[in-house]
Amino acid sequence: MKTNILITGLGAVSAAGNGLDDTLDSFGLTERNAGPVTLFPTAMDYPVFEVKRIPEAYYHEGMRTLSLALIAVDQALEDAALRNLSGYRVGVCLGTTVASQLNDLQFYAAYRQQGSAPMTAVDRFLKGNLAEYIARRIKARGPALTIVNACSSGTDAIGVALSWLKSDLCDMVIAGGADELNHIPYCGFSSLGILNPGLCAPFDRDRKGLNLGEGAGVMVLEQETSARKRGKATDLFLSGYGSMSDAYHLTAPRPDGAGLRSSLTTALAEAGIEPGEVAFVNAHGTGTQDNDLVEGTVLKDVFGAELKMLSTKGYTGHTLGAAGGLEAVFTAAALRVGWIPVSAGFVNRDEAIPLVPVREKSAISGAYAVSTSLAFGGNNAAIVIGRGGQP
Amino acid sequence: MKILGIGTIFSRGVGVGALEDALAVGWRAPVQVEAPRSEQGARPVYLVDLDAVPDRTLLKRIRRADKLSKMCVLAASDALADSRIADLGNKRVGIILATAFGAHVTTFDFLDGILDFGDAQASPTTFSNSVHNAAVSYASSALNIQGPTLTVTQFRFSFQSALQLARTWLDQGRCDYLLVGAADQYGDVLGYVAEQKLTTAGNGRIKPFVFNPVCQVPGEGSLFFLLGREQTENAYCTVRAAYVNDDPDQAEMVDMNIIDADGMLPDESGYLSSLDPRIPTAAYSPLFGSMLVGGAFNLAAGALMLKKQTRFAVPVADNPHGLNLVSETGPAVIGAIRSIGLNCFGEKSAVYLTEGIRHDR
Repeated sequence: MKTNILITGLGAVSAAGNGLDDTLDSFGLTERNAGPVTLFPTAMDYPVFEVKRIPEAYYHEGMRTLSLALIAVDQALEDAALRNLSGYRVGVCLGTTVASQLNDLQFYAAYRQQGSAPMTAVDRFLKGNLAEYIARRIKARGPALTIVNACSSGTDAIGVALSWLKSDLCDMVIAGGADELNHIPYCGFSSLGILNPGLCAPFDRDRKGLNLGEGAGVMVLEQETSARKRGKATDLFLSGYGSMSDAYHLTAPRPDGAGLRSSLTTALAEAGIEPGEVAFVNAHGTGTQDNDLVEGTVLKDVFGAELKMLSTKGYTGHTLGAAGGLEAVFTAAALRVGWIPVSAGFVNRDEAIPLVPVREKSAISGAYAVSTSLAFGGNNAAIVIGRGGQP
Repeated sequence: MKILGIGTIFSRGVGVGALEDALAVGWRAPVQVEAPRSEQGARPVYLVDLDAVPDRTLLKRIRRADKLSKMCVLAASDALADSRIADLGNKRVGIILATAFGAHVTTFDFLDGILDFGDAQASPTTFSNSVHNAAVSYASSALNIQGPTLTVTQFRFSFQSALQLARTWLDQGRCDYLLVGAADQYGDVLGYVAEQKLTTAGNGRIKPFVFNPVCQVPGEGSLFFLLGREQTENAYCTVRAAYVNDDPDQAEMVDMNIIDADGMLPDESGYLSSLDPRIPTAAYSPLFGSMLVGGAFNLAAGALMLKKQTRFAVPVADNPHGLNLVSETGPAVIGAIRSIGLNCFGEKSAVYLTEGIRHDR
């Protein structure tokens, strides 16, 4: 029996905009709001996609990831018309990378130098586990998990939520991902030599790496019975999730793309659809040599050369643990509005990649779309989102 | 859902045999680890000695991995081997790892690089090893596991939540078998933090039934279960249910309660309300140390007791509340065990283990 898991709320904040209206405006105008780092001092000058303003009500000193997550959660709850969660079994599943680590340079520098350091940073870290904090804030009593699967964390969090709902562990789940632009991964990605000194160009022949970004993307996923009970109508639903490991390398994707291919076919099978029914794919598309080559090749193999495909990282940068959440929200929003934006940054076809992303704002037809994530550690994750009367 | 294999590495050795030996022998004082920045100059730690691992084959294959990843790979590999399932290579196997602090030691190494050499000169190898899911990545590549792999992190109940998720994945056919495990590593910085936030037992002796005041002693290690739906020859027991934040079956009679008390909460008195005087109570944290994912080790003790139909005496029996403790090691008829966790908000987790296959639901 097919279980209907509805998407009843969407929230997103990134350099592309605070809220979906802002974001879609940016997409429509192909705005790329990148610039130099302003959030921390650094001698490096790789451009980044920062969120320009955190509203005061959401500001938490030293807990920017949490601030971003709360903005997106509140947007999603408002979109879902959920003001009071009492009486519902609510789960929280959120992906992140930065918020899971005690990587405060000032704390550590003080500890190294003096053998002691104020516990402020530690307290923030212990208080700031994303799923724990948000579950407590919204008084959710269902399962709560913070997923730390590197760059696929957000997509995997949505997939975990799907499993919880299908097993009736809860009525609804707040799911997605959040990450701040942080000094440590900025240095880390630089050390790996994959930061672009200019703006990222996913799938382009001359791509030179990724830009880091920040943000949060959150969905309210809900059992059909719960939404019906409270009179919430929606035409969006989550219908499939696939996750497979490369079992290959800590940082490089498996060259034959077997893990990604398998996660895509698993997600499509769970959705009960054929590749030809997919209107578009919102690809991971970081703008690195290896990712785009493997991903473009696998997407063509699975969906064919006529697939409409884009990467939204040209608008947001690579937001790491938030990426899967943001891109799932963008995918659902695109199904709702019926168009996808230009795959920003793409100019020249790479003959090695048998697929070209969309070069202009494109109308879409079809009831399904796919969002993919590939991560450090060899995680591959894909979700299928649908729009229509009945899944 | 059944426990088909157990693998572990902790301060007393590698493999489920080491765990069984520790349960049978009882408490041993942990090592004193040099802590130059500590007032005492040293602190007790239930430390894993990777140099003492007899079989070096896997360790050679993952020589670039950090200690957390090495512990995970060894424990996961042991769990597969312990299951004695012959054709696992042809099955869809996944991994879920629960950790409270992840690769924090490697993260601080990476910060050393930034502080010592500047933003542009930090080590790429250290950075990639500092990512939370590096351990599972090493496990999947070293053991050729190509199913879904997930790393989750919470400060309490992350392992119990992983078990809960494992059940849904197996029920939904996302994989045939799942390695579900827990891991955390000791490091100097977290040792310092623990001393600032909690009270450390200078003699290394955790007293899990005192509840208040509490004393912790840092531990480290990894423990993996191989879980599946079918009964196998070497299966341990059934995981009948896993609850997080609430225990709807609290009134159910079981043959033993195992509590995760280990001094990691400022006050652990909340356990008292879960303990029925008619049901013997145990806690084994003095064997492996204080860890936020220590519930995995206690659960493994429960699985062993169900399989062997043997009860293991608690390693430290200070008992100011007059609890009905498991005080002797020996043969016993054990049908069901409840493993109980507590968080700082007074919420509880509960995992119910039952002997054999009769009680699965």
